Amino acid sequence: MAADTNVVEISTAGLGLVYRKRQSARRGGDIYFPALKEVDLEVGKGEFLSLVGPSGCGKSTFLYILAGLHKQTSGAAYIGGEEITGPSLNRGIIMQAYALFPWRTIQKNVEFGLEVKGVPKPERQRIAREYIELVGLQEFADHFPYELSGGMKQRIAIARALAYDPDVLLMDEPFAAVDEQTRGFLHEELLRIWERTQKTIIFVTHSIDEAVLLSDRVAVMTPSPGTIRKIVDIPLPRPRTNALVNTEEFRKARNKVWQLLQTAGTATKEVKKEDGRVVLDTVLQEEVVF
Amino acid sequence: MNDNERTGSLPQRIFENSIVLIIIVVVWLFVPLYTKNLFLPSLFSILESFRDLALNGELWLDIVYSLRIVFAGLLIAASVAVVLGMLLGRFARLERYLDPTLQIMRNTPVLAILPVFILFLGIGDSSKIAIVIWATFFPTLLNTIQGAKNVDANLIRSAQSMGISSGGLFFKVILPAASPFILAGFRLSAGVAMIVIVAAEMVGAQHGLGFMIFNYQHSYQTSRMYVGILTLAIIGVFLNFGLVKLEKHLTRWQEKTQ
Ligand SMILES: Nc1ncnc2c1ncn2[C@@H]1O[C@H](COP(=O)(O)OP(=O)(O)O)[C@@H](O)[C@H]1O
Ligand SMILES: [Mg+2]
Repeated sequence: MAADTNVVEISTAGLGLVYRKRQSARRGGDIYFPALKEVDLEVGKGEFLSLVGPSGCGKSTFLYILAGLHKQTSGAAYIGGEEITGPSLNRGIIMQAYALFPWRTIQKNVEFGLEVKGVPKPERQRIAREYIELVGLQEFADHFPYELSGGMKQRIAIARALAYDPDVLLMDEPFAAVDEQTRGFLHEELLRIWERTQKTIIFVTHSIDEAVLLSDRVAVMTPSPGTIRKIVDIPLPRPRTNALVNTEEFRKARNKVWQLLQTAGTATKEVKKEDGRVVLDTVLQEEVVF
Repeated sequence: MNDNERTGSLPQRIFENSIVLIIIVVVWLFVPLYTKNLFLPSLFSILESFRDLALNGELWLDIVYSLRIVFAGLLIAASVAVVLGMLLGRFARLERYLDPTLQIMRNTPVLAILPVFILFLGIGDSSKIAIVIWATFFPTLLNTIQGAKNVDANLIRSAQSMGISSGGLFFKVILPAASPFILAGFRLSAGVAMIVIVAAEMVGAQHGLGFMIFNYQHSYQTSRMYVGILTLAIIGVFLNFGLVKLEKHLTRWQEKTQ
């Protein structure tokens, strides 16, 4: 249901990030760790794109750069045509650990972004109520986060991000910590919200099923340092429900992603550069061609 | 405490909580009537002295005098400690500069500094407020540093992703996240304040509960001395009770671990 995927919302060009671990000269000096390498990606407005890849391949790093929380060391990233230089309320990030403020009630959590934005109190209360209702948790508005289950907390985290009306939602394995049954429910809920709000979503997961079920496209990443190996179109009809996983088309799409993930393992190895720096670099073990 | 122990009926709980105290009170009421030791008068004569000192107003004056200094010192120390603790907890660089100095100050026995304060400030209020500030500063400071360091990085990231200013981050995220640590530190500080004020008033003062105890000990008016001691015990219990209640209320958003 991409609203207008012909318009590019997010794009990255040659995006890379080398982490630097500070270490005393006695222990060999700083270590440079390339976490992300040459990522070129375009995401259309209103598109739902998933990012899958082995753990440690730089998925979170990529999202943090888009969120403006980390600064890339090479290349550039753009949102709505503008280069990303720091955090901004046109993007919302949703993390696996919910990251709700435990001292704030549900209502006050959802108001947080609006508060930062300087929205007057009566209005932000109204907006927050609206989004708490959207995720169906109005009766918990005055509760504290510890009183909610994991799935409910994540719905509130989504409501909190939606409340300040960002164009883009960046979701980092948001449902990894909830049980299977709740996850199925959350998938349908997220699709419903996405269709209604027309947000552009980048969704990180290591569940292939989840990626295929939700997305317009699935980007498969290589092991560390991560780059995008291939992007798979998921031409399944919408609106989608969990029942889709039993269809042949779903299985086909799922297999395609799975095979891409199995291929060409890469490993890292410490390499001593001419100037004496120790750098972790990639060693290609085998290359499988599609 | 397990569930079985907690489900005891109310009368039973009251009994369990008070029986030892009641025995002590009864022993203290009657045994000294036979031992007739000046150093340990019966609770009867202590209560009599309590009535005398309450009626002639002396007791209230001493209580007000001591508590005024305790609260003034505590509030000044806690405000500075919270601000400094937040900064030290978040800026490792600043901590590296100040930590050695703070360690030395903290590990110097508080009362060893008292003579210095008296030299500079005399034996009036100011030297006592100063020693209370000094002593109560560290528990709150150390806890605040600990709390500010332990803020969940995800909460900070989450707030930053919403474009929060660094001031906003301090007041809306780090301070509330650290508040359970800060409040626990403050309660420790309050306990220290009571110890220090009594000691300071014993060394040099004209008023206050510490002075009163010291003074009546010197003149062998021991039941009046015990009035001072028991008053301090009662104030201590209430102060701690109040602070525990306050702490529970302000951190009611925390999951109860039990
Ligand atoms: N702040 C950091 N400093 C150094 N290395 C880091 C840092 N954050 C992540 N890394 C490393 O970068 C790699 C990619 O991490 P991450 O983006 O979290 O991967 P993913 O989300 O795909 O599991 C990992 O090997 C991780 O250990
Ligand atoms: Mg991750």
